[in-house]
Amino acid sequence: MAVTQFVVNGLLVGALFAAIAVGFALIWGVVDIINLAHGEMVMLGGYTSYWVLSLVSGNAEGSPALFLATIPIVIGVLYAVGYGLQRTLVSRVIGTDIFLTLLVTFGISIAIQQLAIRAWSANPRSIQVSFGEPSFAVAGLVIPKTKLVAFVGAILLTAVLYVFLQRTRTGRAIRAVSQNDEAAALVGIDVEHTRAVTFGISSAIAGGVGAFIATILRIQPQMGLIYTLKSFVIVVFGGVGSIPGALVGGLLLGSVEQLTVGLVSSRWTLAVTFLSLIVLLIVKPNGLFGEGAEQ
Amino acid sequence: MTAAESEGDGLLRTVVPPGQVRRLFRFCDAHGWTLLVVGAVIGALPPLVGLEPGYYMTVISEMFLFTVLALSWDVIGGQTGYPSFGNMAFFGIGAYVTAILVEDFAVGFPVAMVAAGILAVAFAAVIGVVVLRLRGHYFAIATLGVLLAAQQISRNLDVTGGASGKILLEVPTGTVFYYLFFGVMIAEIAVVYYLTNTRFGFILNAIRDDEAKATAMGFNTTYYKTAAWMLAALFTGLAGGGFSLFNTFVDPQTAYNGAWNVELIVMAFLGGSGTVVGPIIGAFGLHTVIEVVETAFVGWQLVLLGVAIIVTVIAFPQGIVGTLREYASTMEYYERGGMAAEGTDDEEVTAGE
Repeated sequence: MAVTQFVVNGLLVGALFAAIAVGFALIWGVVDIINLAHGEMVMLGGYTSYWVLSLVSGNAEGSPALFLATIPIVIGVLYAVGYGLQRTLVSRVIGTDIFLTLLVTFGISIAIQQLAIRAWSANPRSIQVSFGEPSFAVAGLVIPKTKLVAFVGAILLTAVLYVFLQRTRTGRAIRAVSQNDEAAALVGIDVEHTRAVTFGISSAIAGGVGAFIATILRIQPQMGLIYTLKSFVIVVFGGVGSIPGALVGGLLLGSVEQLTVGLVSSRWTLAVTFLSLIVLLIVKPNGLFGEGAEQ
Repeated sequence: MTAAESEGDGLLRTVVPPGQVRRLFRFCDAHGWTLLVVGAVIGALPPLVGLEPGYYMTVISEMFLFTVLALSWDVIGGQTGYPSFGNMAFFGIGAYVTAILVEDFAVGFPVAMVAAGILAVAFAAVIGVVVLRLRGHYFAIATLGVLLAAQQISRNLDVTGGASGKILLEVPTGTVFYYLFFGVMIAEIAVVYYLTNTRFGFILNAIRDDEAKATAMGFNTTYYKTAAWMLAALFTGLAGGGFSLFNTFVDPQTAYNGAWNVELIVMAFLGGSGTVVGPIIGAFGLHTVIEVVETAFVGWQLVLLGVAIIVTVIAFPQGIVGTLREYASTMEYYERGGMAAEGTDDEEVTAGE
């Protein structure tokens, strides 16, 4: 296959990474924590869609419309999970040592992951979305329809979030809290509630993307950490609080991974991801876009 | 102090008054070396008086192993304030070095152990240049990235046996490992305890409390924190070096065990990070709990671990030793004049036991 094909594959997958990373960056910016349980939200989203589909159709297969109909349910469920986590657990350690927040979210991550293994076993699963023609070709490039749907879905989720943050009252409250929580409280914003809403929205987007991931890759309970780390790579690259930066970072990471698959071997993709994280932190710890983090 | 904590204090106060706890701390501070020697003698006894290699010896050896890991983490995470999420990288490197040397190059086990320690330290020196420039979130995630990168590289190389790892058949008996891990543990406790009362140890604490100020006072903080990082790597690497033969098997999953990576942090934390006894208490305590859960509810130990982390961090952020120390000093607070004297007291510097 040609190099351009790998780049196209990478861009298609990269949009999913970008959408996950946007949520990760949102929590980082607004709640001021690194949410190490973010990848678990992706996992839970994938499983929610999987089980809803199984409930409706008997097995995890379905037409595109049926699959897309599960997305709002996933978003609703994951919003509730995220909101609840922030309200009950994470809010208790905000403002303390950075390390405590990392540990709490890591604990949540392990607990969710292990409970998922107990409940659903560690076997990988995937959702089969059936199209008449599985793929089409444009200018010699093969584009699988499931990947295109996932790509469009992820871009839409990111775009909706962007508009939401810019145009709605809640979105403005979220941005206000991220800029200065004390000043936000002074003008009457319920900071605790806003943080929980932020957590909920981030988790909802991660979950929605997780459902798409279930259609193009496989989901399994221990997949989360990798997505958390990919989000971190992307956010470090793009800068905290920059949605365009995250988008570019995600598409780039996807392309780099797919090029590794194509030109080297699929065994080395994860190694390349983690090494690029380390290299990025050496070269540019504050990101290429955005104003950079507080450190 | 919240109302709930005060009530808990009231219960505890009737059983153990703070004065006694304070006396215990004073005693431990004054007789640290004696206690260490007594502990070393007691720990060395069981195999001599009839503990046979088997389940219990394995469990106790693992406790020594975890104490080494937790204490090593605490040198960099607790004493120096650099929360590493990648200490298991050193462990994995140590494990692979001994496994490869013993199995493929027929090197003697003791020599292989030394090589494991040296290579782990060398790796730490190289990686430290990169990651120790970062702080906070960035350092934590970068170290996690180092760990996962090391795991992926080991999975893909031929020399490490790839994803299936290496099986080691000719290994020493359980008693050898008991004394090996015990020896490494005692050596590490002695080194760390010695360092807490030296200039070196104080500078590490200064870096944790305010690195900019420590630099401003003229200390080459890069030198000190790299040294602490390498010290942590040395003992973690030695522990890993022993582990691969102890386990008779090493693969990317066990060598860079993600669950252990968190366990050792929680052990240091639960016991009380930034102290010497804290990680020891934490390692023995948590490993006992995990071992009991593992036998009673197979498969639930990691769920428990996750819950234990959340509960510890939210309810108990100073750990056992830190909480007791605060409890012990409640009387001192009133003796020194209570509220009237508040603000004049300098914050106590916890340099260890």
